[in-house]
Amino acid sequence: MKRAAALTVALAAHAGHADPLRLRADALATTASPAGLLVLDASGEARPGLSAEAVVWLAGGAGLDNGADHGTHGDVLVIAVDARTPGGVAAARLGRFVTALGALRPEHIDGASARVRLPARIDVEGAAGLPVSPDVMPGRTWDWLVAARVSRRFSDWGSLGVAYELRRDDGALVTEEVAVDAGVAIGRSSDVAARVAYDTVNRGLAEVALSASRRIRQVRVELYASHLAASHVLPATSLFSVIGDVAAQRAGTVITWAAAPRLDVIGDAGARRIDRDVAPELVLRTRLKLDDRGASALSAELRRSGVGHEAWTGARGAARIRLPRSLTASAELELVRPDEARGRGALWPWALAALGFAHGDWQSALAVEASASPEYRSRFDALFQLSRRWGAP
Amino acid sequence: MTLGRSCALVALCGLVACAGVLGLSRPGQGAFPHRRHVIAGVSCTRCHAAVGDGSPALHLPDDATCTSCHKKPHDPRPCLTCHVAPGALAALAEAKDHLNFDHRRHEDATRGNCMRCHTGIADGDDHLRPVMANCFGCHASDARRDARACSACHKNLAEEGSLPASHLAHDGDWLREHGTRAASSGDVCASCHQASFCASCHGVTVPALPATRRFADPFAASVHRAGFAARHSLEARSAPGACTTCHAPARCIACHTERGIAESVRGSPHPVGWVGITASSNLHGREARRDPASCAGCHGGAGERLCVSCHAVGGVGGNPHPPGWSSSRPLSALPCRLCHPAGTR
Repeated sequence: MKRAAALTVALAAHAGHADPLRLRADALATTASPAGLLVLDASGEARPGLSAEAVVWLAGGAGLDNGADHGTHGDVLVIAVDARTPGGVAAARLGRFVTALGALRPEHIDGASARVRLPARIDVEGAAGLPVSPDVMPGRTWDWLVAARVSRRFSDWGSLGVAYELRRDDGALVTEEVAVDAGVAIGRSSDVAARVAYDTVNRGLAEVALSASRRIRQVRVELYASHLAASHVLPATSLFSVIGDVAAQRAGTVITWAAAPRLDVIGDAGARRIDRDVAPELVLRTRLKLDDRGASALSAELRRSGVGHEAWTGARGAARIRLPRSLTASAELELVRPDEARGRGALWPWALAALGFAHGDWQSALAVEASASPEYRSRFDALFQLSRRWGAP
Repeated sequence: MTLGRSCALVALCGLVACAGVLGLSRPGQGAFPHRRHVIAGVSCTRCHAAVGDGSPALHLPDDATCTSCHKKPHDPRPCLTCHVAPGALAALAEAKDHLNFDHRRHEDATRGNCMRCHTGIADGDDHLRPVMANCFGCHASDARRDARACSACHKNLAEEGSLPASHLAHDGDWLREHGTRAASSGDVCASCHQASFCASCHGVTVPALPATRRFADPFAASVHRAGFAARHSLEARSAPGACTTCHAPARCIACHTERGIAESVRGSPHPVGWVGITASSNLHGREARRDPASCAGCHGGAGERLCVSCHAVGGVGGNPHPPGWSSSRPLSALPCRLCHPAGTR
């Protein structure tokens, strides 16, 4: 897989100067671990309806070591070939990618997916493959998953979908879920969306999410609610999947107000509930653009979050100022005060100052980060990023 | 003067002083009075004469067009220096750069009625570019739209970088909201975002891509923004299961071991009374019911034997299943067989 990805990227890089093939390289170095990360991102369209993309990375440093392996690490994030018929009636993808079918959880797989549009606005989608394992997981011998979704679009105003997923790791049943998703547009300014996932192995609701929004001129109001049962999200082979029956629930409203052409105000008022503990979830955020495009901007945020012993209050301010000579200066400051210090410090400040440079196909940024946290009384880190792209952006 | 009036006066003065910064007004700059011109009987093409010639320009009237009626301009500067709302020209230029659009092809369909598309023109210059919903008023059954072939109109959505606020909302708390919205609109998302976009967060093989992290942009949306490293334990415990939607449970112990804050390095992280003989001194049961994913983070895999030693059938720990719990699996499957040896229930 890695060799195939390297070959794909190399081919893309070779032709990177020719539109529409594109290549992007990102390098990140940080003193925090210390660690370095190199990412190559290539994509291109061989001909209309046939395209490919690949993202590979290579990392090294003490902070990225896992156990006894102290060498460099590298892997493929995405390597996929996409094909679709001219009218978009059918489409297929082959390779390593993240598949997300309706209300099922996204899965990173090595495999294939396909979608066919049938008459009567019915769509059928399917995905199958081997789940990608993070390097912290032990090697397994026989993992696979299949997932499918059937959906119906209703004119221009809505859709309804039903999806099913079955996953086995090392031959054992890990996930079996049925999920339903729906989206409805009510007029031009209101819409409602919902997703429900039901665990059929350890029977119970795994996840529910609802969202309804309405836009009235400069104000957008969203009502939301969610229900997430951790025990149903865990692999069914885990002992911990059979003991939890408490869901984390959250509900509230977000109001986004374009108070002035350059001033946005966002308020989020809601509540979290876990078992018998209920706590408010409050956010007030403002953002002021200092020019019409928002290249320079200021923002301020106040937040109250967390449940029970984990509640905290925070404030955050950020600024980004465009400077001459393609430079941008930015700064962020965050102060977090946990309700219960428990010997971890009463205040956790975090600050970052960065200088960015973007000119033509080059981008770079240098930042200094300072913080005090439960882990460190004080800590200073430096970050550096360099990016270059070839071909069309 | 009462305190209330004083405060109101101060607030008013502040608003006036900040009006320029907020974009409410600028010296000498305001929305173009389209409505007044229409009422005066001036047709759209009288000023926007170049609309019909197919030229790629913005079709804005030049000074000569204005002065053909306004014989005595009050200022030597170009008319559009002042008579257009802040940002309006920039938005138009962006549209011209990124859209495949030809006014000529729409003349017949609209019968020359510009207001058919430019519906908000009377409200000010904020709506010079029609919203996308207006396009679909006529192109509702367009096959290219059905196929999500955005390139039919948009030259390059990624480069355009404009959020489709007219038909979807990326504002508010989109990070939380996208999971609900994307479930039923996956193909709409795919019209702008490539596979790597989803994988940059939901992919399991790399912790964070530089292009996603964007530490130099404080306004970039991210779950792990600002001092998340310090806050993450509070956030994880307040939303059990949320971390597991992207990270494997084993990620916790792997990272903590690397950083020297795992149990093997600093001893047990649990408080006194975590495991006791009486129910009142057994904190771990309640916490495990609330947040089993956290338990799995350290005690997953071979570590599950610790639980089995007390909670196996006939053990002192008793039945750990919640009331009403049921499973479709046979007792011979994992993890059932760990606690239910053959012949037990």
